[in-house]
Amino acid sequence: MPNAENPISLLENLLKHPGRVVHELQQKQASVLAGWLLLFGIVGIAIYGTVVGAQSGGAQMWIAPVKLGLGTLLAVLICLPSLYIFTCLGGIDAQLRSVCGALFAAVCLSSILLIGFAPVAWIFSQSTDSIAFMGALHLLFWLIGIRFGLRLIDATGRFLGARSKGHLRIWSVIFILVCLQMTTTLRPIIAPSKTFLPTEKKFFLAHWLDSINGK
Amino acid sequence: MIEHFKTLLRGELGAGSLEKSGWRWFAIYCLAIVVGSSVYGAAIGLWRAPLQSVFTAIKFPLLIFLTCIGNGAVNGMLAQLFGSGLSFRQTALAVLMSFAVAAVILGALSPVTLFVLYNAPPLGSANAIVGHSMMLLTHVFAIAFAGIMANLRLLDLLRRMTGCDTAARAVLFSWLGGNLFLGAQLAWTLRPFIGSPGLTVQFLRDDPLRGNFYEAVWRAFRHLFL
Repeated sequence: MPNAENPISLLENLLKHPGRVVHELQQKQASVLAGWLLLFGIVGIAIYGTVVGAQSGGAQMWIAPVKLGLGTLLAVLICLPSLYIFTCLGGIDAQLRSVCGALFAAVCLSSILLIGFAPVAWIFSQSTDSIAFMGALHLLFWLIGIRFGLRLIDATGRFLGARSKGHLRIWSVIFILVCLQMTTTLRPIIAPSKTFLPTEKKFFLAHWLDSINGK
Repeated sequence: MIEHFKTLLRGELGAGSLEKSGWRWFAIYCLAIVVGSSVYGAAIGLWRAPLQSVFTAIKFPLLIFLTCIGNGAVNGMLAQLFGSGLSFRQTALAVLMSFAVAAVILGALSPVTLFVLYNAPPLGSANAIVGHSMMLLTHVFAIAFAGIMANLRLLDLLRRMTGCDTAARAVLFSWLGGNLFLGAQLAWTLRPFIGSPGLTVQFLRDDPLRGNFYEAVWRAFRHLFL
């Protein structure tokens, strides 16, 4: 069983027996477990960020991990209040620490999967100079990772007696949109830039269209 | 209090929840409305100017309370006419309860709307219209979702209170019709909430009681189609 004294077993169980992690997040040590999950999630995505930054090299080798880690943390903080309310709307009687734990577990699971995709991403990053292509590839890997993460949140909802799936599905869409926008808010992540943050505000669809058109 | 709101959001309040005596629960629901809708109101007004956010944070809960007070008597009468058995006090508590649900949901969504606002092209920029449209759409979806959930919870409660689905639906739709009708006009009177870039930031427009939401809609319809 995952326990707070052995954080590594937490990662193993998250992949092999996610149900055990969901169960432990309802017990007394849930807060400690949730803390480890968040830490692993942020560190994991920062590790993937080094592969993202390797496309351009130089300062992007530290800027990309910092931006991905910070962006993930901000997205979690922005969406946590609505997750708590949406779990209530779905008929789930959960403590705040359990809801936090479920979200942090989802982020941690997606970052573990991203680390798994890191060698594939690196190979492609060495094969092309196209920022748009690599951006799309990184987004695809992230979407696959977060799909498994959100499935974990769904499973937590079922475990806690959710009466309807619709509310958590709506929240999942909100979370994905916030994360997609966060990549644009903190751009550039792959390509180098003179400023740490962008000087112009854009929505992510407009940014993607501009990137495809080479603007 | 938090457990009560969690039970309310889950839609598990029993029929006895409207039997509570004293003013404590009125005060609690009013507090939830003030906190949730003020926070969301501030997010709405912030796009135009910080001062507009303060004004909208004051006006959003004011709109809700004025709607409840304005329709209080007729809501109570309709509840009794449709055979729900609810007293005026119980009607007022039920309506406040549903607005409290909406306010809590909007308060929880305010970090998301603030994030959308942060990313919207500012006023005066070339893409300001895109930003304005995105803000409007975001607020429409958030308020519509909160309103729908609040009314679903109210319908559940009315079913438990009345024991009859027909009576519960009749009461809900009559309250909804009245609140929307008066609420639209009060929103017109209390405008602006978002604020127009071409006009100065004001708490209320000049001569706020003059003019009518439905006449404005009719004039717009005539300009478009007639």
